[in-house]
Amino acid sequence: MSLLSYDFMQRALVAALLTGLAAPAIGTYLVQKRLALLGDGIGHLALTGVALGLLTGQAPLLTAVVVAVAGATLIEVLRLRGKANGDVALALFFYGGIAAGVLLTGLAGGSAATLTSYLFGALTTVSDADLVLVAVLAVLVLGMSLGLAPQLFAVCQDEEHARVSGLRVDVYSVAISVLAAVTVTLAMRTVGLLLVSALMVVPVAAAQQVTRAFRATLALAMVLGVAASTSGVLASFYADTAPGPTIVLVALAGFATASPLGGLLRLRRRTRAPFEDEDRTDAAALVHELTEQHPHQHGEGCGHVAVEHGDHVDYVHDGHRHVPHDDHYDEH
Amino acid sequence: MLSGMAQPALHVHDLAVVLAGRPVVRRVDLDVRHGEFVTVLGGNGSGKSTLVRAATGLVPTTSGGVELFGAPLGDFRDWHRIGYVPQRPSAASGVPATVREVVSAGRLSRRRLLRRLARADRTAVDAALAAVDLADRAGDSVAELSGGQQQRVLIARALATEPDLLVLDEPTAGVDLAHQRLLTDVLAAHSVRGVAIVLVAHELGPLARLVDRVVVMRDGRVIFDGTPDAEAAAFAHTHDHHHPLDPHVTGLTGADVLGTGWQAGGTR
Repeated sequence: MSLLSYDFMQRALVAALLTGLAAPAIGTYLVQKRLALLGDGIGHLALTGVALGLLTGQAPLLTAVVVAVAGATLIEVLRLRGKANGDVALALFFYGGIAAGVLLTGLAGGSAATLTSYLFGALTTVSDADLVLVAVLAVLVLGMSLGLAPQLFAVCQDEEHARVSGLRVDVYSVAISVLAAVTVTLAMRTVGLLLVSALMVVPVAAAQQVTRAFRATLALAMVLGVAASTSGVLASFYADTAPGPTIVLVALAGFATASPLGGLLRLRRRTRAPFEDEDRTDAAALVHELTEQHPHQHGEGCGHVAVEHGDHVDYVHDGHRHVPHDDHYDEH
Repeated sequence: MLSGMAQPALHVHDLAVVLAGRPVVRRVDLDVRHGEFVTVLGGNGSGKSTLVRAATGLVPTTSGGVELFGAPLGDFRDWHRIGYVPQRPSAASGVPATVREVVSAGRLSRRRLLRRLARADRTAVDAALAAVDLADRAGDSVAELSGGQQQRVLIARALATEPDLLVLDEPTAGVDLAHQRLLTDVLAAHSVRGVAIVLVAHELGPLARLVDRVVVMRDGRVIFDGTPDAEAAAFAHTHDHHHPLDPHVTGLTGADVLGTGWQAGGTR
């Protein structure tokens, strides 16, 4: 483990670990609200914050947090008041944020290399002071998104029902946006501002291929996030690539693996699921479909999946269900 | 509790709602007592949905007032006394969630922050799932259910709250007749236990034999308020039949019967 003897590598790995936990945690709620691209918009805004830091000599991480949180709050307030079509409002913030960011970085005398390190992450840029701030912000994001999970789940699932449950939907919605903004900035050094949103969305998308429950999706997304961010940082060290793109490609590889697996799981569940309660008399009268004669005798341990169906057992045979009936098989 | 019983569960007084410059509810008065089962009928655009949305604070009122259990809407805090079924085509969202997870959200108005589900919460969720005949699907993802089953999930979520006032906005759209009857019986049982019920519907259907009162709206006004029998008599001349159980009018809606709603577009 020679690479752990590098201080910058230790810091980069800790930052990646925290990012990998926090980004999918808040990202799950964004995906649930169908606002998967919000993180992207905030990322662009945060670039303006970074540039302001470079221009004024403040820590870029700090100015990025301030600008991103302010912008995220504004977007959410506009959305809640119905003043802004979410889609177009996000686009305006996208372009304004990145244009102002690049312009101000130029004014501050920053080079393209400076810009690239913020846009796509850079392992060597995480300072001790940064790491402390990243840790504090990560604990905040994780504490809120796990501690308030029942409330945030309800608000993202059904705003109207949440409101009639007495929840302050406006407060929770703004909180989600602010947490997303905080996450964007804490991921800035490892994943970079342009790709941070991918770490919020891709692990969630991968997790939900194989899950049925919200809690399981949240937990699995965090596991996948950590796996992608830490292995991505390691790979970028050895391959000498930018960490952001490496992490995102690892995460996407996870999705590419999970997706067919999920398809198989769903198919398996569906073939084995009992039928809905149907009106037996009607169904039996209408669907007495004879299958072709075939030599196989279905029975216990015959190798075909057995599915309980009311008072008898169906056998799954080449994707349809057979049931023995006198000397032939019925299709169910 | 007795002192609370003196107040109606829902008191709507001279209520008007204007949405985007258009009057949608005009000077409506409505009282719903404890244990009373009221159906609000009307065509598309009649204002029936907006009326209950204003009564639950989802739509701002323009004038007039709403009181829930004697408290003006703005001061009302006992949200665990309200069970609400929104008009939604689906119970699913962007991330998978199990039937049990969605129904458990019905307990939020009774839970304090940072507390786990207590035993009472779990018992209420189980009872609500059983009431809508979905106990065996509790662990399934809501997205895998049919539209009618998802409607039953939303109803179970409202029942899980164990409310004193149930407000249901067209809860049986897409629910098959057998399960409509089941739900009607569940609601009637709650009504007998003292729960006030306000149910917005297109047509009476299997409800006719169970509701205490029918309120019919047209163009934002209440044009009828009385018993189901009186309603049937009052509107008999507008059409031969308007109970959907009657085979040759199946497919007709309250809007056809009342002669409204054709121009009005979506449900208000």
